[in-house]
Amino acid sequence: MPTKTHVQTRINGENIEFLCEPRQSLLECLRDVLQLTGSKEGCNDGNCGACTVLLDDRIVTSCLVLGVEVEGKEISTVEGLAQGNSLHPLQQAFLENAALQCGICTPGFLVAAKALLDREPDPSEERIRFWLANNLCRCTGYDKIIRAVMDAAGKMQETKA
Amino acid sequence: MRLPPFQLHRPETLQEAVSLLAQHGEEARPIAGGTAMVPMMRFGFLRPEHVVSLKGIPGLDEISESDDGLRIGALTPLYRVAGSAVVRAQWPLLARAVGSVATPAIRNSGTLGGNLSYAEAASDPAPALLALEASVLLTGPEGDRTVPITGFFQGFYEADIRPGEVLVEVSIPRIPAGARWSYLRFAARSREDKPLVNVAVVATSEGVRIGLGGVSPTAIRARRAEAVLQGPGLTPQAIDEAADAAAEECDPLSDLMGTAEYRQDMVRVWLRRALTGLQ
Repeated sequence: MPTKTHVQTRINGENIEFLCEPRQSLLECLRDVLQLTGSKEGCNDGNCGACTVLLDDRIVTSCLVLGVEVEGKEISTVEGLAQGNSLHPLQQAFLENAALQCGICTPGFLVAAKALLDREPDPSEERIRFWLANNLCRCTGYDKIIRAVMDAAGKMQETKA
Repeated sequence: MRLPPFQLHRPETLQEAVSLLAQHGEEARPIAGGTAMVPMMRFGFLRPEHVVSLKGIPGLDEISESDDGLRIGALTPLYRVAGSAVVRAQWPLLARAVGSVATPAIRNSGTLGGNLSYAEAASDPAPALLALEASVLLTGPEGDRTVPITGFFQGFYEADIRPGEVLVEVSIPRIPAGARWSYLRFAARSREDKPLVNVAVVATSEGVRIGLGGVSPTAIRARRAEAVLQGPGLTPQAIDEAADAAAEECDPLSDLMGTAEYRQDMVRVWLRRALTGLQ
């Protein structure tokens, strides 16, 4: 039987060590081993994006990444978005725009959208739609989500100016 | 659904990877970005007892340009191929095709070598590399082997990879000055879908090379369509005839995205568009 592997990594800025089996995806490690249950399991094959996290600053679907392979890497999850009690502007904009209903897709959208705004502070609507193509929502019909991202981008620009 | 149990090997050299794969034969599979292997294992299409991760092997993810052309290490993630300044400037067809795979998250994980080894008929890179007359370098227990990409795809999800072999590099010759190109993909439902039909064209003074995806058990070169264009060149009538020839020579399957007949019609439409809109 496969033995567990010791993995050292950084998650949301903290050094983290955990043990996992080779067959555990990064998503399973986050949820089942580390109790970081913000990232969600949807399709489990890379289509729905509910498990989106940043791996070395690039978005990946964590259901497709083997947990043992994040050794030495930097991971950011939805749990790292808010600073203490203050929500990230994207989280605030999702609330204000009612950009969620059941909420399962929301963490993935937030992480993917933050990765976009970190790179491109003022993306066009089209750009946002292409960027978020790997995130499926079965409730909202997307318009409110796109509006929330644009709204957050605007507010973040104002804060900077 | 959890992955079935397997033993994960993380070799640090190519030789080590090859000997692990050779030693375990049919019981072993290599894994790179995981975007194909993980779902295949999760949903039970593959159940290897040994999985050999290639990601820890240094030097397999480099892009280098020489007088002969371009070499791309098999472990290079798709986003780096699509975003490479050299690829975009000198082989824009390839940048366009690779940048069309799925979504940003998938292109961050997935690798060029993985995409080709998977031998998906509706691959974005495959028709482009067929039209560019690329070749792939494989390393195995018997040594190195170079295979022209035109002979690499052998059947439905089947590539010419012998037991123990690993795809290590893709080589692409220079495109002659003055060559024109086109890459078009048609996804019936939404942009991030696999293409129902995709078309890559390179037109040089010596002739037109056409790669087609999604319309046969593998990506193919449309040789009969190319032959039609050989004499007359890109006249409107020859383009119509070439589009008909391509529709005839492909051998599509019916699936949820479209019937075989619809795919044939779409080959006709999209090849005509590609040939009339060369850049």
